[in-house]
Amino acid sequence: MSDHPRPTRFSRLLVRAYPRELRNQYADDIACFIDDARRDPRYRNNPFGPLFVATRLTVDALASMVDSWRRDAPRVALPTPPSESSRSLSMDAVLHDIRFALRGFIRRPAFTIVAVGTLMLGIGANTAIFTLVNSVLLQPLPYPHAEQLVSIWSRSETQKQLLVSVPDLVDMRSRNRTFADIGIMRSISVNLTGGDTPERLIGNFITASALQVLGAKTAIGRLLTDDETAIGAGQQVVVISYPAWQTRFGGKQDVLGRTVVLNGRPHVVVGVTSEHFADPYSSEVWLPISSAPSRQWFERNARSVWAVGRLKPGFTAQDGQRDLAAIFAQLEKEHPSSSARAGMSVIDMREGLVGSSRFTLVVLFGAVIAVLLIVCVNIANLQLVRASTRAREMSVRAALGANRGRLALQVIVESLMLSLVGGVLGVLLGKSAVKVLAGMMTLPATTPVHVDGWVLGFSLLVAVVTGLLFGAPAAFYGTRVNLQDALRARTENASVRRFSARNVLVVAELSLCIVLLAVAGLFTRSLQSLQHVQTGFNSENVLTAEFRLPSIKYDDSAKVHLFMASAVERLRAIPGVTSAALVDAVPMSGNFGTINYVAQGQPEPVAGVAPSAQISTVTDGYYKTMQIPVVAGRDFDATDRVGSEPVVIVNTVFANKAWPGEPAIGKTVRLLGQPDIVTRVVGVVGPVKQMTLSESDSPQLYLNMAQTSGIFASVVMRTVGDPDAMGKSLRAAIWSVDRDQPVWRVRSLTSLVKRDLSPATFSVTLVGAFAGLALLLGIIGVYGVMSFSVAQRTREVGIRMALGARGGQVLQLVLKSGIEVVVVAIVIGVAGALGAGRYLESQLYNVGGADPLTMLGVPLILAAVALVACWLPARRAARVDPAITLRNE
Amino acid sequence: MTKKTPESLLPLTPAVLHILLALADGERHGYAVAQEVEAMSNGQVRMGPGTLYGSILRMSETELVEEVIPRHRGDGDERRRYYRSTPFGKRVLSRELARLDAVINLARRKQLLPTGT
Repeated sequence: MSDHPRPTRFSRLLVRAYPRELRNQYADDIACFIDDARRDPRYRNNPFGPLFVATRLTVDALASMVDSWRRDAPRVALPTPPSESSRSLSMDAVLHDIRFALRGFIRRPAFTIVAVGTLMLGIGANTAIFTLVNSVLLQPLPYPHAEQLVSIWSRSETQKQLLVSVPDLVDMRSRNRTFADIGIMRSISVNLTGGDTPERLIGNFITASALQVLGAKTAIGRLLTDDETAIGAGQQVVVISYPAWQTRFGGKQDVLGRTVVLNGRPHVVVGVTSEHFADPYSSEVWLPISSAPSRQWFERNARSVWAVGRLKPGFTAQDGQRDLAAIFAQLEKEHPSSSARAGMSVIDMREGLVGSSRFTLVVLFGAVIAVLLIVCVNIANLQLVRASTRAREMSVRAALGANRGRLALQVIVESLMLSLVGGVLGVLLGKSAVKVLAGMMTLPATTPVHVDGWVLGFSLLVAVVTGLLFGAPAAFYGTRVNLQDALRARTENASVRRFSARNVLVVAELSLCIVLLAVAGLFTRSLQSLQHVQTGFNSENVLTAEFRLPSIKYDDSAKVHLFMASAVERLRAIPGVTSAALVDAVPMSGNFGTINYVAQGQPEPVAGVAPSAQISTVTDGYYKTMQIPVVAGRDFDATDRVGSEPVVIVNTVFANKAWPGEPAIGKTVRLLGQPDIVTRVVGVVGPVKQMTLSESDSPQLYLNMAQTSGIFASVVMRTVGDPDAMGKSLRAAIWSVDRDQPVWRVRSLTSLVKRDLSPATFSVTLVGAFAGLALLLGIIGVYGVMSFSVAQRTREVGIRMALGARGGQVLQLVLKSGIEVVVVAIVIGVAGALGAGRYLESQLYNVGGADPLTMLGVPLILAAVALVACWLPARRAARVDPAITLRNE
Repeated sequence: MTKKTPESLLPLTPAVLHILLALADGERHGYAVAQEVEAMSNGQVRMGPGTLYGSILRMSETELVEEVIPRHRGDGDERRRYYRSTPFGKRVLSRELARLDAVINLARRKQLLPTGT
């Protein structure tokens, strides 16, 4: 121990953790001590030595801090009344502080209202968003051992959640090693007939294992059995949900054994699921997959279903995915197919259901936390301002014997009272806000959104942390009473240091503000680009509706064609309808189809890599109704019939890709299927957005409904007046063809386009609101600090002016300090905003994460507003009358 | 500070008691005090710099210890400060030990402790 000339930088840094009174006298000694301890062979030769020393030092520093606070009675020999000093930190003292604080709040209603009001907004927003985060992302799905549940899909190069074929899944179920069980499902609407009006139910075609995997229980009766759902089983049975049982089937025991007509076929009800069970679709009826609406479902090349799986304990979704991918590769060898599939994906079930909501929620959560921090900073500022005006109160209490810990306790008690009251109001606000928010988001059916214990706990925690956060600066700086100074001189002398603390707070506040404004700006720009996307059709004045013909009744294509032709004819006859057509998948409705093809003149594809295109089946008049431009050739017409040459219409993207520079009309396209169909191009039309507005234009094909035999169709109908008023006539027209045919989803095409914008609109609305709130609070913060600093500097300004400074110079002087704060805030804030933009980039449409307009515009706006907030107090300073100020001294 | 009687400072906090004990046989610098205390107590009492100098600060104020120019420097560091017990400090220590002794005797009489030498 002979080699320590002077304390190391490290230990001199550590010394700062010790209370000032110790540092004043023993800084070097403490530093030497720390060095000695670090060099001590006992710790030096032990791998955990440094950690041990560090822990000991931390505990020691904290202990001496507490010790110093406790002992920090002023060294003034005044009598110490028991009411202040001996009570120390007891419960009694806290109660006293609460009473004291209450009186204070009532005396200063403006401060109290601003503080509680902003806290209510901040905590309320947090409660609301956390409620969503909690129910969507944190709480387990309402199934037993939900962590073992996964959803099983096939995937392509670009998409992760594509449907799978039934035979593949059946093989995977029997061959895998990682799953306890796998259950097939596919939700499709089902026609319920035999009542007064035909109804549509949410159906789910499943294997018996699906309900078992989800852990379904029955209220009465039983679930489906493996025999009933085995492919080829003839048994027509159905399990109904508890809500459907109550509302549609009378809610009585005698429902068991009853026969109901679904999709035109009689089914025997064998069971009702328990009251709170819901599958991911909120299905109303579960039918065996064996009674699927189409035989095609059972072909290996048809991808029609997905599956839920329960992993065996100890296996992860990745294990499951590897397992199924291996089986899939094996199956590809056994049954070679020509369609492009890259493999299987096994996704945590919640992940599969939540989808893109996660991103929105994370962004919103970040935004509300930023808002709350700004609220904290603002109130901390107000408290600091108050603290300096209360310096005398504090000094007097200190002189009477209150120690620093005691004074700090009072500040903290006050802060906690404010934040708890704000918290209670916030929870009430959040509770009502969350209902509105949940309605605006598309959330999975399995997620009941409500304020539960977790949310209340979170809000309480937020309130307490908030209170401590905004109370801490005032508790620390505000109680640093120097008795001699405070009693002798005026308060302003003691406040020079505190002013810089407030500046730091304002910088923090404004930087957060910039980040929030920038995020709101990026979202707005993205939404604007989306709103200006060319959809390729005119959505104004178009009404749409869906129906599905029961295959038992329409069992041959002639009957289907007759129905479709008559329906179009009746629709066109409705007064006020200028044109009408049928299509299997209305753009933006969520329906779509794809097909693999080989265009004339292109090489035969190697197995599995044929190009694919979106495919729709339409009647003639579709392009006229949708106002999709026909660029070349013709629309389908009466000459295109069953028996005549199969024809196809392609979009310009398809034509340019398949035959660049050549006319498309007259070329052939072979559609891959069972069997392949060779079609001839008769027309070229413009591209449309089929799935979402943000998709890029892709190759599209149209088949003629008169030459195919689909049983699912949608109506599109262009009207003269308000399309929403025509729903009744639309239904009547369909029912005049078949009075048993249900029609659903009667909605305008504009509403479909709007729905596609709704997630973006939702984010813009909320983040925009939060950013606006942040800006308001930030400006209040700047204004408050500037006003205060001007008030503090009145004497200085007075002297300067008495010595000949002019108003303009004073204005400059005061503004300068404000501008410094704003500039620092802009630098930090823009850096933060660029970081946030990077994170958001993938979710923005046609806008970069570092969008120059946003990144320049936001700081400019903020600077402008902040300067006004600085200028107002500065102008007041410039008008100071030196005579009056100095006389006051 | 007004003159204090040793009794007004009793009982001593464990830290103060151990420091006085460590300084009983001569002057020491800070880290040496901490080491001595740790050794005396078989590792039971460990002092960090905060506890040590916090106590030394109060003990200087109450004149239990004082800083000295050491007669011989054990480790050649000129900036180390050495402390020793004042006569008042020694008196306080002996009063405290007498008090503790009385307590121990009381405990023995009540047969709460094994009697021994």
